[in-house]
Amino acid sequence: MTERGDVIYEVRNLCKRYGAVVALDDASMKLHAGEVVGLVGDNGAGKSTLVKCLSGAHQPTSGQILLDGVEREWSSPHDAIQAGVETLYQDSGLAPHLSVSANVFLGREELKPGILGKMGFLAQKSMDTRAHMDLDRVGIAVPASGRSVAQLSGGQRQAVAIGRAVAWASRVIILDEPTNHLGARQAGEVLHVIQRAKEQGLGVIFISHTLPHVLQVTDRVVVLRLGRVVKDAPTSDFDVDSLLGTITGLITD
Amino acid sequence: MATTDVKQPSSPVTQVVAPTSRLKSALANQQLLLLIVWLVMVLGFSLKSPIFFSVDVAGNIFADWGPLVLIALGELIVVISAGIDLSVGANVGFSGVIAAFAMKALTTAGVASTPTLLIGVLVCVVVGSLIGLINALLINYAKLVPFIATLVTLGAASGMSLVLTKGAPIMGGPAGGIMLSVPWIGPFSKPVLVVIVVVAVMWAFLHKARFGRYTYAIGSNAFAARAAGIDVKRHIVKIYMLSGFLAGLAGFFFYLRLGGGAPTSGYGMELDAIAAVVIGGAALAGGVGRVSGTVLGALILTTVTSGLIIVGVDPSWKRVVVAVLIAVAATLQALRKSEGGAS
Ligand SMILES: Nc1ncnc2c1ncn2[C@@H]1O[C@H](COP(=O)(O)OP(=O)(O)O)[C@@H](O)[C@H]1O
Ligand SMILES: [Mg+2]
Repeated sequence: MTERGDVIYEVRNLCKRYGAVVALDDASMKLHAGEVVGLVGDNGAGKSTLVKCLSGAHQPTSGQILLDGVEREWSSPHDAIQAGVETLYQDSGLAPHLSVSANVFLGREELKPGILGKMGFLAQKSMDTRAHMDLDRVGIAVPASGRSVAQLSGGQRQAVAIGRAVAWASRVIILDEPTNHLGARQAGEVLHVIQRAKEQGLGVIFISHTLPHVLQVTDRVVVLRLGRVVKDAPTSDFDVDSLLGTITGLITD
Repeated sequence: MATTDVKQPSSPVTQVVAPTSRLKSALANQQLLLLIVWLVMVLGFSLKSPIFFSVDVAGNIFADWGPLVLIALGELIVVISAGIDLSVGANVGFSGVIAAFAMKALTTAGVASTPTLLIGVLVCVVVGSLIGLINALLINYAKLVPFIATLVTLGAASGMSLVLTKGAPIMGGPAGGIMLSVPWIGPFSKPVLVVIVVVAVMWAFLHKARFGRYTYAIGSNAFAARAAGIDVKRHIVKIYMLSGFLAGLAGFFFYLRLGGGAPTSGYGMELDAIAAVVIGGAALAGGVGRVSGTVLGALILTTVTSGLIIVGVDPSWKRVVVAVLIAVAATLQALRKSEGGAS
């Protein structure tokens, strides 16, 4: 087991209802610095809902969210981003009509120096160069920064989305099914990126249906079923069969 | 050329090949196509009528183009954000009428022409922006879709204009106003030159500044924009207020031409604005559109109108010509989308 630091991100007794649907039911979990937690569960288990609460995209119906032990309320994704929590959403995290570099810098545009910058003019060249470097540094395939995202393949889009999240995260990075749409080799690169983020001391929440990936890269696994946390244990406690059994409910404690 | 500065992806994902055929790159350049269409029109009308190619006719075309391009640019930013603003035409009439009342009162009170006109333009853009603000509030907080929200303000503003004026133009403003509308440099009047400056400013803010970046992002994927930390509601307010501001400016333009505020000014112009935007290559689904396209779209519309009258064709044909242009532009848009968007 690797060294793990203090608890950085925590949820306590989180509930989220969409009308009559209870998507999250009293869910609690902790994430330490330098730790990768796998979040698994069947379709509809509430994984994406938990992610959206953690990222500020949705507001929980009740329960607490704590960053560095301090209770926080995210009224929008902006708040969570400002606090260093980056999220890759399962679908639609990018603006397809914008260029790669515009997407990497979306919401954090670099402005020209001086009066032009005050008026909101963009330092486009500098952003293009930096976007290229940031994606490169992350170590994943880098498409041309000037091309619009709609012209990229599914895998390339995913690479941009991951690169953006990793480039900006300073505390926590949440990846909702980041290996979707990816071939085996690209998925391997994503796992490598996760490993690197962990080594930098970030807390990582990794969601995936590919259980071998989960077992390979995570330190701990949290299993959700029908909005409840049914298991929270070190990854070394599981193999593929026992993890699958826990997810489907065939194995219960 | 795309391969030199591109790092090869480390897995065999399909590389997008730059369209090389002439047809494809021509399709991709809407502005060039529009320029050609416009030049062909000018050539055609000039061959048909000896008086078409003149400073006078150009002056008329630009005098029509000025207010149209103002509201079309407002419509453009709204459309790029995946919205629609049906209230711009009614806004033109309403802001012009309110400003006319104000300027009439000031003139009656003996205030000089120039300060009265300055107050008049201020009233126009403030009233116009307020209508835009109401649109944005209806969209953000009453959760109306833009079509309905701006239909509401269209009805309210045009109805109010008629009620307040009892249907007649409000005259009696400053004497110097109407003189401003005559050509000053070549075919351009002073108001038209102001419009050209507004076009340049809009180009810069839409294509070079953060305002435009957020506008495209919201139209392209509002969830992604919000997830990236953009305050989408606040930006929606800016977009619709800017559209209203430009409509108010167009209202003042009409006031100057008419020498008064008519409740019917701008009537139905929202459709011309939408036509200019669509002919200019914008997509109503959002995320696509350029200032240059809209400027040319508006120029084509006003050239067709003047040209048909001058060559003696029933100007009602304008509607047919515009319909064809919209159909062609929308088809090109659809083709471009199906070719460009790998998924
Ligand atoms: N925006 C929403 N409105 C209504 N119900 C939703 C919404 N998002 C998710 N749900 C419901 O909440 C439950 C959990 O969904 P989700 O969090 O997407 O699960 P997972 O990501 O684990 O597949 C499902 O029953 C889903 O239908
Ligand atoms: Mg999900």
